Parts: sequence; structure tokens; C-alpha cells
Amino acid sequence: MTNRQKYIVDTTLRDGEQSPGMAFSVREKVTIAKSLDALGVSRIEAGTPAMGREECRAFEKIKLACQKAQIIGWNRMNLSDISQSIGCGADIIHVCVPASDLLIREKLRSTRSQVLETLSTCAAAIHAEKRELTIGLEDASRADWDFLVLLIETAQDLGATTLRFSDTVGIMSPSLCKATISRFPDSIDIEVHMHNDLGMAVANSIQGLRSGAKYADSTLFGIGERAGNCNLEHLLIATQGQLDFGISLDELQWRQADLKAIIYKNKLAYA
Amino acid sequence: MLPIEAASILKANKRKRGTQMVTIIDRTLTTFDTTGMTGRDLKHFCDLLFTCGVTKIELTPDLVDRMSFPGNAAGLKQWLRGQSFFLTQILPDLLASDIPGMKEPKPLWKLEPNELVDKNIPVSKLTPRHHQKIRITGLDDLMTQDYLKIFKALLDSGVDTLDLCPGNQQHCATAIALEWLLAGGQSISCGFTDHHNFPPLEEVLMGLKLSQPDLFTGDLSVLSELRNLYEKLAGQPVGKMKAIIGTDIFKVESGIHVDGVLKNPHTYEPFNPQAVGNQREIVLGKHSGRQSLLYKLNKPELSESAAHTILNHIKSRCTQLGRNLSDRELRTLASEVQNDKQTEIYC
Repeated sequence: MTNRQKYIVDTTLRDGEQSPGMAFSVREKVTIAKSLDALGVSRIEAGTPAMGREECRAFEKIKLACQKAQIIGWNRMNLSDISQSIGCGADIIHVCVPASDLLIREKLRSTRSQVLETLSTCAAAIHAEKRELTIGLEDASRADWDFLVLLIETAQDLGATTLRFSDTVGIMSPSLCKATISRFPDSIDIEVHMHNDLGMAVANSIQGLRSGAKYADSTLFGIGERAGNCNLEHLLIATQGQLDFGISLDELQWRQADLKAIIYKNKLAYA
Repeated sequence: MLPIEAASILKANKRKRGTQMVTIIDRTLTTFDTTGMTGRDLKHFCDLLFTCGVTKIELTPDLVDRMSFPGNAAGLKQWLRGQSFFLTQILPDLLASDIPGMKEPKPLWKLEPNELVDKNIPVSKLTPRHHQKIRITGLDDLMTQDYLKIFKALLDSGVDTLDLCPGNQQHCATAIALEWLLAGGQSISCGFTDHHNFPPLEEVLMGLKLSQPDLFTGDLSVLSELRNLYEKLAGQPVGKMKAIIGTDIFKVESGIHVDGVLKNPHTYEPFNPQAVGNQREIVLGKHSGRQSLLYKLNKPELSESAAHTILNHIKSRCTQLGRNLSDRELRTLASEVQNDKQTEIYC
């Protein structure tokens, strides 16, 4: 039996905002973040500081406005991005590591060895500034298991507190999630990040949590790339009485209704 | 590549199923008011459903009337007597003739009565009775339970024909449907889009296509056409970001994804957009980078400083408007910026 207490990492302000046409001003980001913090979301992925000064300003204001949630700065696997996140005051520095050979070869034009080497360099920089490191395994659902094992071991050696398993293109199924996540070691916290391309982000997140993951990533209204991320409201509905995220569904629903006008400025963006 | 256990789960299930095809029942036409639907639109809708891989289409007696089946009208009306029916296809290879030069015949459609008895009861109350044809409904909360154990109990119940139509109140119906088929279930009932409480047909079909490509024979490239026809007939728009059939799901804005997709589309796409009758589109917005801009303007000679200025304007405008810029708006903006750079204004 898995532990019923689980936690939400909200990525509305990062992955959610990457949904084509979504764009929040600094003020809007702070409003959304304050609402998520009040709701009881454990971690807020507030954006990508490497995007520029405006994003950094948002970060700083979100840090001041939020009382409880830890604020995550999302980074590509490079020192410049990480330096920006550290400069903005993020509590957690998240490093996104391409895990599949497809991404490593085709996107990064790199090799597995170089990925591991670069990751070590990034981790050293984060620890030098005494920040918490979390590592994301991008496209983990299409990664070779042997390399995933290497990445898991490396993440542990580098002192990462959380490992994010990302189903970047949303192709997992519940049984595959169960088979995969249950193989991860207990010695590091696991976070599941599921996309909704096949309409199974909620189901896959549930199976990931039941198989040992401590955190599930979600967004308000399920916004995100392509068909979006795991919808927070739907996840709470589906797990009522089974898993406890410390978040009231009723409160989420009225807060979400309040935020609808900010998130969907252009009413034609949703049906 | 999958973990070893995951790959063996798929192999074991394929062995279990052998080469027997699953039955996909579509219930879309029972989910909205079809009073004003013409026979022509109805036939077109059914044709598209069969093309994308549906095995049976559930029809009300009123819709059967509109299909204009030949034969004794009075006899047909008596046979109908208020129950629903399944429309099925007799496929060309079964109709093939040995006559050389003869064109391959089109599929024939036939009606069969819907003999499935809907049951929304605990699995333990399902008494084993042969020659029973049952559709199990409900089971919305299966994802938070040991669903494999429940599926095994259903499959061992001794029921002759067992169709599953899980409810979608907990937003897990697609997952339940696909896991049922993976566990050895032979029949699933769905409905197109997510405007009802059935598993969304398009998600189940794509899930089957990706997980069991040997067994799937449908052509999903007609899904866009089906979506357009559905919106016209049902009078309800489909969400632009709806999985599989949303019009905007293949729009790419963020710089990292644009970079990946331009190098190899497979990096950030679960399947080729054309597989569902859609196409990829690079769009400009708050998260766009220089590469997106050069791609859209098709001006590789654009200077770094001009690109930087244009991108700043794009970010600011898109944040204000809450949407992407159109191609025309981009060209106008780009020409304004370049004109400003070329012209010195004296005050």
C-alpha cells in the first residue's frame, strides 16, 4: 500500500504558459502564484528565468508574495540558465536533462557521456550556491532503461532531492507507468510529469503516485504544450478519498473560476 | 525503449489476444439531438466512423429510418419496435469476386439489433450465465483500485459477450478502456469527443493504434473531417486543445520545442499531425526565440539587434492580447522595426 499523502507541483506558470497563445504579465503571474500558495500547492514552478528580465522580476515578486510554497526555477542544462535562476532567488533549481537518445542526438546533437558530464558541472554550480537541486528526465518515457538507471544513479550521487519522470509527449499508459515508476529506488523522491496527448495524463499521474511517486505535476485547467498537462482539478476529483494532497477541491474550483479571466484572456482560446 | 517488465507486459497481452480483433462500438449518435440531421449527413458521419476504425455504430430507431434501407418498410418498422441497433460493415475482401477486371466493391452496411444489456453493478454481482450479452457501465473510479483484478473477475465471469463502457466522471475513461483491451477485453463502447460520459473515441483509437499497431486497421487521418462534421451536426465546438482532435494541438511556440521540431519533428510530437488530418504550425508568442522568428519571416539575414527588438515587441503584444500574433501582424511589426532602424528621425 502506498503512502496516501502526496504533493502537487504546479507548473501553470511554466509548462502551462508554454501553451501557444498563453502569456501572463508579471502582475498576473503573481496573482496566480498567490492563489496557488494559498490553496496549499507544495511547489510552484514559476517560470524560466533565462527568458529575461521580465521573467526574473516576476520571480522576485512571487518569492515575496508566497508564504508556504517552494518556488522552482526551470532550467535547461546549462550554466547560464542556472545562474539566472540563482540570481532570481528560486528556492529550487530544476535542471531539465534530455533522457532519450532521440532528444540527445537530434535536439542537443550530443552524446550520453556529454549529458552526464554537463549535468555534473551544473550540479556543482548549484551546490556552490547552496540551492536545492531537482533533476528532470525529459522524454523519460521514450528513454532507454539502461541510460535511465545511469541518470538515476548520477542524480543521487549529485545530491538531487527529487527526480522528475517526464512523459514529455504523453504516450504512457497506466500499466507502463506502474511498471516503470515502481522500478525507481526509494532513496530519492520521485515526481511524475504527464502530458495529455492520449487523454491519459490524470490516469497516468494516479498510477505513478500509487507506484511510489511523491509529487505529481499539474496545471490549472490542464493547460500546457499540445493537449496540455495533468489537470489539477481532474486529478483531485479522481483521487478524492484515496490520496491526500492537502488541497480542498471546493477551494480549487472557486479559485480557478476567479483566475479564468487572467488565464484565458482571449475567450476564443477555449471552447 | 521501455523497461524490461513493461515490454513483457505488452508481449504477454499480445499473445493473450492472438490475432482476434477488438470490437469498437461508437455511441456518439445517442449523445446529441439528431432530429434535424439529414440522411446524407448521417451516412457521411457513419462512413467516417467506419473509416477511422469503428466496428459498430449504435443507432436509435429514428436514425435507422433515415438510413433508407431498402426492403419492406412496414416489416422494418415492426422489427425496430423502439430498441436501438448497431450498424456494421461487411468488408470488401468478404465480398470480393473472382471475376477478373471487376472493381473492388464498396463495403456494405447491415443492421443488427443491440442485444447488449446495460449493467452498472458491482463485479461480484455479475452471475455467470452463458449466452448473455452485457455492457458494463460505470466503473469510473477504477484507476484508484486494483483494476487488473477487477478485469480478471469480469473476464472469468462466464458472460458470453462483455462490452465495457466506463464512465468518464473521473476523467480516466480512456485509460480504463485501453487497459481493459490490454487485459483481454474484446469490446469497448465510446463516443466521439468529451461532450458526454463515454471514453472519447478518438483517444481510444489512437491509443490502440500506438500500442497495438498490428491489430489496428483504421485510418485516423479522417478525424479532422469527422470533428468538423460533428461540430456542424451537434452544434457544439470541440476544444481547440482537445487531445487528438483539437485544432491547435500542433501549434508550437516555445523556443525549445520549435528548435527540436525543426531539427526532427519526432522530438516533441507523439505522432505525425497528418496522421489525424492536422498539420504542424510554428506560431509566435511570448516564448518564441530567434529561430522561430527567422523561420517565420524567412529572412536569415535579419540582424541580431533587429531580431531582438522584434521579439521584445512580440512578447509585449502577445502578453497584452493573450494570443499569438498572426503572420500578417508579424510582417507588419517586422517592417515597422526595420523601417525605424533605417530612418533617422530629427527632432
